[in-house]
Amino acid sequence: MFRDIRPVLSALLRNRTGAVLVGLQVAIALAVLVNAVYIVKQRVDLIGRPTGLDVGNIFVLSSAGFTQDHDRYATMREDLAWLRSLPDVRAATSTNAIPLSGGGSSTGIATTPEASSEQTVPMNYFQVDEDGLEALGVTLAAGRNFRADEILPPDLNSDRAIPQVIITKALARSLFRTDDAVGKVVYDAFGRPTTVIGVIEHMQGSWLSWDKVDHVALVPEVASWSDNAYLVRTRPGTRAAVMRQAEEHLAASNTTRLIKFVRPLDYYRDRSYLSDRNMAVFLVTVTVLLAGVTALGIFALATFNVNVRTRQVGTRRAVGARRADIVRYFLVENWLVTTAGVVLGCALALAAGYQLSRQFELPRLDLYYLTGGVLALWLLGLAAAWQPARRAAKISPSMATRTI
Amino acid sequence: MLGYYVKLAARSLRRNPGITSLMVLAIALGISVCVMMLTVYHGMSSNPIWWKNDRLYAVTLDSWDVQEPADDEHPDLPPWQLTYNDAAAVAASTIPLHQVRMVKTTAVLVPEDVAAGAQPERVMLRVTSADFFTMFDTPFLYGGGWQAAADAGPEPVIVLSREMNEKFFAGENSVGRILRWNDRAFRVTGVLDDWHPSPKFYDLNNGGFDDPEDAYVPFGWIAALELRSMGNTNCWKPESRNSYADFLNSECVWIQSWVELPDAAARASMQAFLDAYVADQRKAGRFARPDNNRLTPVDQWLADNRVVRDDNRLLVALAFAFLAVCLLNTVGLLLAKFLGNASVTGIRRALGASRRQVFLQHLTEAGLLAAAGALGGLVLAALGLLGLRALYATGSAGFRNIMHVDGWSLVMTVMLAVFAALAAGLYPAWRVGRLAPAVYLKTQ
Repeated sequence: MFRDIRPVLSALLRNRTGAVLVGLQVAIALAVLVNAVYIVKQRVDLIGRPTGLDVGNIFVLSSAGFTQDHDRYATMREDLAWLRSLPDVRAATSTNAIPLSGGGSSTGIATTPEASSEQTVPMNYFQVDEDGLEALGVTLAAGRNFRADEILPPDLNSDRAIPQVIITKALARSLFRTDDAVGKVVYDAFGRPTTVIGVIEHMQGSWLSWDKVDHVALVPEVASWSDNAYLVRTRPGTRAAVMRQAEEHLAASNTTRLIKFVRPLDYYRDRSYLSDRNMAVFLVTVTVLLAGVTALGIFALATFNVNVRTRQVGTRRAVGARRADIVRYFLVENWLVTTAGVVLGCALALAAGYQLSRQFELPRLDLYYLTGGVLALWLLGLAAAWQPARRAAKISPSMATRTI
Repeated sequence: MLGYYVKLAARSLRRNPGITSLMVLAIALGISVCVMMLTVYHGMSSNPIWWKNDRLYAVTLDSWDVQEPADDEHPDLPPWQLTYNDAAAVAASTIPLHQVRMVKTTAVLVPEDVAAGAQPERVMLRVTSADFFTMFDTPFLYGGGWQAAADAGPEPVIVLSREMNEKFFAGENSVGRILRWNDRAFRVTGVLDDWHPSPKFYDLNNGGFDDPEDAYVPFGWIAALELRSMGNTNCWKPESRNSYADFLNSECVWIQSWVELPDAAARASMQAFLDAYVADQRKAGRFARPDNNRLTPVDQWLADNRVVRDDNRLLVALAFAFLAVCLLNTVGLLLAKFLGNASVTGIRRALGASRRQVFLQHLTEAGLLAAAGALGGLVLAALGLLGLRALYATGSAGFRNIMHVDGWSLVMTVMLAVFAALAAGLYPAWRVGRLAPAVYLKTQ
């Protein structure tokens, strides 16, 4: 194959413009392809992270009273008792915030009573009752659940001490450098102690774009934010039916309140990842179009080269070149152009990757992606030139003697 | 002359319909992706109240923890909201022409006569000052806002959005009618016409493209009804909070504050007012951080709060890379085509056409291609933006609203078309003009 390169190269150099144009297309295509795929991979990984929650079987129901005599806590007790009595409901809890939704509460805790702000670790907390663990579908790795008598009554306006807390392994590691946190004590901003009674394997909290999204704690407290909200976990396959049933029943059971919404937990996860998902969709779409247009450019150049050399190909065939030789000639020519573009494209891709990492705080481009991109463009180039090369091979030797 | 060139170009383009449609398609694809991304970018980065950019200012003060800035990633910025007391102090100033302090919250509003068919509705509520409507130039369909005295009372008055007025009062003039909130009768003083400023510059808490609230009530209802914010409430100081009054007096920031200052002199005296207030508060042990008292105009406010995301800048860059590939492609095809047709050009040259004329004839052809490509590109962009809206179906309506072909998109399309014609046509037209006619005449 390599003995073909010299004549091909000299032919190419005599008619550079078309080759340069296609080479530039290949270079830009490579730079875009590699970086786009790299960014898409990051987004897909981000979206695919485990939540630790039984997302597919949980729904959220929120209601608000609209009269002054509306007793929200009595309503809450009735609602939860009714929800828990349903055969298809595994667990239900009141909550102050919806996991994965982008809204929630956080506070700082530390391992010493007199901690400076550097020693304080942020913690995203969810007020739940003894059904909280089961309703979230999280796995307890060590320790125990809250007992019913440990759940503190609602109290919106005070900053009271919380005796017990259940935390995630990730939060335990940030606090104690170990997962083994059961029985250990953490301190709030006032230096008041709280005992860790359980450790959750993994759970994502409120803010999916936060680097400490897994720094989550469950707090044994009846949620007291402005409106009632419940997390309900159903048996597999029954969620949609239970949601309908719950909305109908609860709307009718109490006429001084309004059901604000009943939504599957997936709704919040999808909404939080909407821009990441769409970014991936845009990048894939534009990259596919770009590859298509580049392939078209390669195809057009190869076709042009075959057309202007019909007579030359005929002559070569007449003096003994086989069809395979002709195919090889055009493929090598095209490969040279692609390769020149790829070399330039590698430099462009790295430069673009560097700019992206600097300006947009993305991680530096992984070189595997560059290797993959080079291979992909070589293949694309060969595939695009294949048909014109085959057509060239079909040129009859008699063309040598014909005027065009 | 131009007419003749166009006729020539059209004839030449018709001769190779395959290549022509390939070139048009390439230009159309390139332009459509650019127009889409630029339309979205422009929508996100626009200033929805540009005519008041030199008058409206967001007020921020750095009341945060001395040990760390409010935002680690942007340590130069103060927290973007005020404490309840600081907002009250700013509101007490008589320097601004208009001023508002406000918070977004939620409520259930009940029509007085439920039997008439209207149901209780959960609404997003802006608790704000009387000046809100004049300051932000909100259009009114019926009635108007409330008097400044209603803020302090607070009086039970309410302004509805057009959409809410449809729901509660079937779109009729509802001024003077009653909606109940927590068993209190709120009298409608006005109904807004369609008003969807995007970005929602005056409150970026819930994202830059959050929808405007459904209703507005006087600011005094915050304390009267012990309301909490539906946006962010950020607290840094460990301080005992055992009542709602403690919360109001805390270092938590949750109130948005805007002032309208008609000229530079007013701005300077407002700045002096803020600095003096902070200096005074220092004596009481507050404001331990260095002075960072800001009056930020709307466009700077949108930039400081990073309404346009990095992703959008990246997509614009990507779109132009794509356009570059499409145009390179077109240059290649056009060149091959022009050179393939060199014999005709040779005859023209031999018959007396100047290089300049040959150049212009071919450039006209490129221009025609670009025009067709731009037309196709605009259609593709309109379809693409429809697709984008579908992708954002679950997002905020304000964000979807920027995804349509507008005047700006048309201007961009025309500019891109001119650019495409020149970028794709200049070199091939120049090359073909340089050909020596004799060579081509000989082979015939």
